[in-house]
Amino acid sequence: MIATWYAVVSLMLVLYVVLDGRNFGAGMLQRFVARTPDERRQVIASIGPLWSWHEVWLVGFGGTLVAVFPRLVASAFAGYYLALMLILWGLILRGISIEVRGHINDPLWQGFWDFIFAFANFLLAVLFGAAAGNLVRGVPLDSAGNFSMAFFTDFMTRGYVGLLDWYTVSVAVFTVAVLAAHGASYLTLKTEGPVHDRCAQWAKRLWMAVVPLFVAISLESWKVRPSLAEDAVGRPLCWIGLLLIIAAAYALFSGLTKGLEGRAVVGSNLLLIGLLVTGSAAFFPVMLYSTLAPQNSLTAYSLASGSKSLLLASFWWPVGFVLAAIYFVFISRRYVGKVSVARDNQGYY
Amino acid sequence: MNSNLSDPALWSRIQFGFTLTYHYLFPQLTMGLAWFLVYWKWRALRTGDEKYNQAARFWAKIFGLNFAVGVVTGIPMEFQFGTNWAAFTRYAGGVIGQTLAMESMFAFFLESAFIGALIWGEKRLGPRYHFLAAVGVALGSWLSGFFILVTNAFMQHPAGYQVQSDGSLGIVSASAFLLNPWAWVQYLHNQMAALVTGSFVVAGIGAFYTLRKLHPAQARLYLQAGTLTALVASVLVAFPAGDQQAKMVGRYQPVTLAGMEGRFQGGGDAGVAVIGQPNVAAHRLDNPIEVPGALSFLAYGTFQSFVHGLDEYPVEDWPDNLELLYYSFHLMITLGTIFILLMGYAAFQRWRGRLETSTWLLWVLMLALPFPYIANTVGWMTTELGRQPWLVYGLFRTRDGYSKVVSGGDTIFTLIGFVGLYFVLGVLFLLLAGRQIGQGPEGTLVADPPAEPVPGAAQLAPVNGKESLV
Repeated sequence: MIATWYAVVSLMLVLYVVLDGRNFGAGMLQRFVARTPDERRQVIASIGPLWSWHEVWLVGFGGTLVAVFPRLVASAFAGYYLALMLILWGLILRGISIEVRGHINDPLWQGFWDFIFAFANFLLAVLFGAAAGNLVRGVPLDSAGNFSMAFFTDFMTRGYVGLLDWYTVSVAVFTVAVLAAHGASYLTLKTEGPVHDRCAQWAKRLWMAVVPLFVAISLESWKVRPSLAEDAVGRPLCWIGLLLIIAAAYALFSGLTKGLEGRAVVGSNLLLIGLLVTGSAAFFPVMLYSTLAPQNSLTAYSLASGSKSLLLASFWWPVGFVLAAIYFVFISRRYVGKVSVARDNQGYY
Repeated sequence: MNSNLSDPALWSRIQFGFTLTYHYLFPQLTMGLAWFLVYWKWRALRTGDEKYNQAARFWAKIFGLNFAVGVVTGIPMEFQFGTNWAAFTRYAGGVIGQTLAMESMFAFFLESAFIGALIWGEKRLGPRYHFLAAVGVALGSWLSGFFILVTNAFMQHPAGYQVQSDGSLGIVSASAFLLNPWAWVQYLHNQMAALVTGSFVVAGIGAFYTLRKLHPAQARLYLQAGTLTALVASVLVAFPAGDQQAKMVGRYQPVTLAGMEGRFQGGGDAGVAVIGQPNVAAHRLDNPIEVPGALSFLAYGTFQSFVHGLDEYPVEDWPDNLELLYYSFHLMITLGTIFILLMGYAAFQRWRGRLETSTWLLWVLMLALPFPYIANTVGWMTTELGRQPWLVYGLFRTRDGYSKVVSGGDTIFTLIGFVGLYFVLGVLFLLLAGRQIGQGPEGTLVADPPAEPVPGAAQLAPVNGKESLV
């Protein structure tokens, strides 16, 4: 039961990263792939109508965590207090900038909000990347299951660590690169003309840059938490994740070189899925790893709600998920194809 | 709770109170306006009259802006359970997390899937699906309110739970938890109050356009739909919803009822104070002017019923800010009464055919626009201050619920951050909503053919068999 719930919250996180990752990437790249006001609008229109739908996966992930792993939320959210507040502010800035930019048709106004949009997306990619790094490296959990930490301490990965150290910073860099590449692949599918061509070029460059970063991150993770790699070897799901990553790499490179945009997007999605599946399968059952003493680590078993609460959740959650899938099919069928600013000229995206 | 400026529990309360109060300014309009959009889309579908589409299009833009601020200010609410109220989450997360997660799964997905379609996709969807999108958004926003009110009802009047071996709460009865009577009464009260906000805003903008002699056909539509809905909702919010809610407070939180009315001594023939200030130090209500017996009757059904007083309870169980609780409650009651009178008078004038010509009534309707927001806010302040000093009533005290690892100074810092950011959001919202209202609904006009050719009329081109602006 608890393992299933661990898988469920991982699934929600995966969906969030895959879906909202497009917005992060598109937001960070907008300035580079679009030059004229019309081109910028094309980028915004590619993600505009669906961004809040994507962000709901984060809210759903958070709510489900509170329901099934309340002690994880209590330890981690309070422990990451200031970093999490920065994430919240980043999400506010990101949401509001995409919503208000189109209300006033003025280059200064739109340029300002485009800048805020890019900045907020970049900040979020860095913070989410650092957070992922923190999950691998661990946090200074005490024996009561609490921690609080500085933004950075001595940049080392043992003992009283900070949010940022050499390892988490490199994961953040990797995350920025992956999400930018992910966004570029998606924009290639949704845009036309010069924006499309620039996105295709950016996608190629960024995915090329991801390869050495991926190798480096894998080696670093092995060094930072050797037990993780040892656990991973014995777990079939980790191997499936690895296969997904390989399949994704093939789909990406063949898609990008042959100009098959759909295939590249599938590859890009698969790559994120593969990375996160491998990671969460290797972590289980540890959810928060202690850098002070291994016995302080918090596992899914020690963090979960009571069995009746879990049972109740297993009645309604699948229903909610199926409904969400139905909406998803409905709206994605409506928005399939290239965005056209001329045709969809209603509303403000 | 100590009075030290660095007290983390105090600042976490202020931060949560501020971010929640601010956030709720937006969903109340979303929930109130949603059914207007459904109604107009439905009328457009049935009658083919373009003025309804025009109204829906105009209000969908206001709705979208409002929705966006609601979304971005809503996300911090969920995360603050963990950041600022970790001990509470550890204690009650297994219960309240259920409804928080259900809200995302059942309400937010529905709402956010169709909001883009509603505002952005009229042409891509066609009239029938566009109507369905409005229904989806309305259902989603009302479901969202439901799950939040079940969550709040659990904190007010816990039901369906058990204390587990580790001391935290778990669910034993899903039906008792979801069918908590407190939730249903409060839901009706709250949703009607949201409808009051929505209809006052619609009527207020209608009055503004009428006074300015702008967009007459649209203004009439807003004025009529707004005042009628406002009358019905203002009555329902008081009877039966508010009345039942007060009875429930009397039954399950008698000390709160005593605090709301500033009653220190218990007794029969209890009155409702029309004027009076609680003097907590002296344990009395200063210069009270009361309607005798009214409180006994409203809370317990007869004019002689015994109503408890604060002095019967230990001070540590009193709501910890009696004055604010008292003023919030009385302001809510006063505003609610004025709303019924105002909208009753508007209905009377409409019956006499003078709704659009009575200048001073139009002025009052226009200036009344902010007051439902105040009434909703003080209503929620009554609920939440009345729950104190408990986080989960009778089980878990507020001072035990905050995050022990987060300092008061950290919270002051982030509170200031929220205040600054929300100030900017408020300015943006007012600026852009004001522009929208200034541009008016006629920017998308296709209904009334212009009497003479207008420059730019050639831009009107048929799309999906209907005329619309390209």
